[in-house]
Amino acid sequence: MVESKQQWKAWLYLAPAIVLLMVFTVWPIVNTVRMSLLEGYSGLKAAGGATFQFGFGNFEKVIQYRRFVQCLRNTVLLCVWTVPISTFLALLIAVALNSIKPLQKALQTIFFLPYVTNSIAIGMVFAAMFNIVGSFYGTQNEIIVTAGIINNVIEFFGGKPVNWINYGSSYMANMTVMIVYIVWNALPFKILILLGGLQSINKQYYEAAKVDSAPRSRVFWRITVPLLSPMLAYVIITGFIGGFKEYTSIVGIFGEKMGPPDDAGRLNTMVGFIYDSLSANNQGRASAAALILFGIILVVTLINLQVSKKRVHY
Amino acid sequence: MTQKSMSVMHDRDLGKTSARQKAGKALVYFGIYAFLILMALIVLFPFYWMLISSVKSLEEYRLSTPTLWPRMILLGNYAEAFTTAALGRLFVNTLIVGVVSTILSLVITVLTAFAFARLEFKGKELLFAALLATMMIPGELFTITNYSTVTTFGWINTYTVLIVPFLVSVFYIYLLRQNFLQIPNELYLAAKVDGTSDWKYLWKVMVPLSLPTLISITILKMMGAWNSYIWPRLVANDEAHRLITNGLRNAFTDTTGDVNYPVQMAAVALVSLPLFLVFVFLRKYIMSGVSRSGIKG
Amino acid sequence: MKIVLQNLTKIFPSRNKKSGEEVVAVNNFNFEIPDGKLIGLLGPSGCGKSTTLYMISGLQKPSSGRIFFGDDDVTELSTENRGIGLVFQNYALYPHMTVKQNILFPLQNLKGKDKLTKEQMLDRAQEAARLVQIDQLLDRKPSELSGGQQQRVAIARALVKMPKVLLLDEPLSNLDARLRLQTREEIRRIQKETGITTVFVTHDQEEAMSISDMIVVMKLGVVQQIGKPQEVYDDPANLFVAKFLGTPPINVFRGSVRAGQLYLGEEAVLKVSGAPDGDVDVGIRPEGFLLDPQGPLSCSPLNVEVMGRDVSVVSTHPASENPMVRSIINADSGADISSGTVRYSIKPHKLFLFDRESGKRIPFEVKQHG
Repeated sequence: MVESKQQWKAWLYLAPAIVLLMVFTVWPIVNTVRMSLLEGYSGLKAAGGATFQFGFGNFEKVIQYRRFVQCLRNTVLLCVWTVPISTFLALLIAVALNSIKPLQKALQTIFFLPYVTNSIAIGMVFAAMFNIVGSFYGTQNEIIVTAGIINNVIEFFGGKPVNWINYGSSYMANMTVMIVYIVWNALPFKILILLGGLQSINKQYYEAAKVDSAPRSRVFWRITVPLLSPMLAYVIITGFIGGFKEYTSIVGIFGEKMGPPDDAGRLNTMVGFIYDSLSANNQGRASAAALILFGIILVVTLINLQVSKKRVHY
Repeated sequence: MTQKSMSVMHDRDLGKTSARQKAGKALVYFGIYAFLILMALIVLFPFYWMLISSVKSLEEYRLSTPTLWPRMILLGNYAEAFTTAALGRLFVNTLIVGVVSTILSLVITVLTAFAFARLEFKGKELLFAALLATMMIPGELFTITNYSTVTTFGWINTYTVLIVPFLVSVFYIYLLRQNFLQIPNELYLAAKVDGTSDWKYLWKVMVPLSLPTLISITILKMMGAWNSYIWPRLVANDEAHRLITNGLRNAFTDTTGDVNYPVQMAAVALVSLPLFLVFVFLRKYIMSGVSRSGIKG
Repeated sequence: MKIVLQNLTKIFPSRNKKSGEEVVAVNNFNFEIPDGKLIGLLGPSGCGKSTTLYMISGLQKPSSGRIFFGDDDVTELSTENRGIGLVFQNYALYPHMTVKQNILFPLQNLKGKDKLTKEQMLDRAQEAARLVQIDQLLDRKPSELSGGQQQRVAIARALVKMPKVLLLDEPLSNLDARLRLQTREEIRRIQKETGITTVFVTHDQEEAMSISDMIVVMKLGVVQQIGKPQEVYDDPANLFVAKFLGTPPINVFRGSVRAGQLYLGEEAVLKVSGAPDGDVDVGIRPEGFLLDPQGPLSCSPLNVEVMGRDVSVVSTHPASENPMVRSIINADSGADISSGTVRYSIKPHKLFLFDRESGKRIPFEVKQHG
């Protein structure tokens, strides 16, 4: 409304952000693409005056790299397990929370608690819970006492203790622990969003359903889920994006070795791979991997959007 | 059959079904509460386990049948944790980085959001769309180049490197701009009539009116500093500048095997405590900020 | 302080870039607003009245033309430096400030030699609050006030810096009917007490006529007529102004002037001189009808609406441009519509002739009956 001829004033307000964005956002995008296309690019070697051939060599190498395939597999597996489980559990909890009055606020607060935690710190708590105390740096059979609370519980119910994360543990056991931890971590955000969505659904729909004496399960599938579909889509998309960037929760439980003591790197993820390449001063490979990660996230998000376009009901 | 007896029977039938319905309803509610309380216990269990383990003696912790409440409360673990991990230094470092980066980030966010919400300049829409587009890109993609950039700048192992690269958050700018746009245009015109400059209007009217959003941003930013791990490990992992999460991880490299868990849990509890305090007092702001973000920290 | 508007024009670029059509919001507005008067800018929505107000305030810059406050050219002066007070339609109170802080806000922005001490500011705020009778509410937040109270705070905030010019943008439109009557008297009183040159914008002709010293009627960016309310009503410059002022609105008939006679349809209602022969539009104010069994105009009455002191006879006439002809006559004159026709004679000074094409008034003189 007010006309100002002082355009430069606007740029003055924008200046700090623009300068910082140029240096730490725009330039990195350009540079990452550049480095990914220079075969075997390394900052150190470049400083030493080496030149690099232009081509897709980095991408080819990354894809052929056995460790990368392992990282990709871990990441995809974690996503495929944790997103549906956490979404479904969060939906159940949110619906349950929405249907009660007493204790609702208190329980809501409890369910949000895991959000305000440090995923490294609480990862260490999970490690303690799944641990078997003893010394295992020597041979495999050196276990002295079993003491992790999870195994205690399993034994209490007459089951056999499982070597979850220690020396000689199986990949399945490791993944189970990671899935449990990541789901635990992912619940609060999803519950918050879904509960917010539920609370904004007009009560009249439920009253109408009551008048029509529709059974609870029908009300849930025919009214609640469709009306909640935008929030569900949002939660699933952000869940996948977060899942593909999984890294610190694994560091929390397994440490920077990214795996049990006898198989370091077994649980490494895409992000872990990028940082490893960076630490090895192989920026070309790191850039290629980062672009591949970006590509995967983009494709998964687009697929999700496409699906939700058909499924989201309004 | 008389009409009366029919109606009596009918009534009895109704009474039966409503009693059954009532019982069914009670059962459903029992089920809902049972489920919620069970889930709540599962969610709370790690915190509980962290706290009771942190005050146990190592011997008690290692008992093959664990105690659910410590026999003796050993606060010495906390003292040991504090010194082992040099938590004091880590707290100070994290606080410095958190406070400085929050203040600077708030100023930049306010200025940028104001320009996008209130001022007119060429290419505004395009620039804003470009900014939003960068939110799609995973942060790792920036990290690779930023690592070389800060090395070139000679910022490795400084506070600067922990603060400057993350001062601009497109998401916070977006959040605040939306908030600014909701402030009626008339207030701006009124302020002009009242003799205010753009600058004064921004700080006297827009900022106070957006306080809830700014508080949300502050908390999320502080939490970000508290929880950041990857970047600090990469660029400032020396004693003098190390942040809390890295310090914790570095001090207790072993998570499995024969570890002094009580002390480790005490350290974890100490690191978690500030977050809990913030949560207890500012829950409203955190939850409203988070529900609009979807990004942790 | 007098305000001079000189060839004031505002052109908005078209929203649709392709068509490139510009919108002329205000077209060549010339007016000298005398010092200390209350001026009503009146017109239907989109007539450019608000744009004119905003140009006087400096919130919008004119495309061409000049604005003077007294002898000073303020065209290029920004709003902050014009020393005006403006009351917005929705009041635009700062929601996070108390009433007192809201009123103090303009004073805190004064710079240089105008700068006031804290005590002076508080005194001025108190005084302004007293003037609009809200001195009991100083510590409340705007959200705790009624619409009428918010309105008063907005006026106090506009007045506190003792502006040279007070501008009001549809100040009454957000109030309910009773409050509106009361507030408009209030605005009149405050304006009289302070003697500040005041311009207010409204689409409500009754509102404008009742309190203004002068009104400006606008249509599509063009000023139609400027004058004292009664003068404009009694002597409209064109059909638009005649139609826009007055409730119930003026009755318009298709008529013609032939050989010194004014015809409505086939009925010769008046002998006129000075108007050229031809088709004309004829406007007759509702109060311009006199019940007269020998009157020249005959209408078919539908019903009689009782208004208390007066009655309104609703009837039809073949030459009427509106579906109904509405006359207002003294209740004592006994309107009888049972016969199926009602005959009127016309008060000549309540009858206006307008050009069919341009809508301009056609002057005429009434010849004696005979």
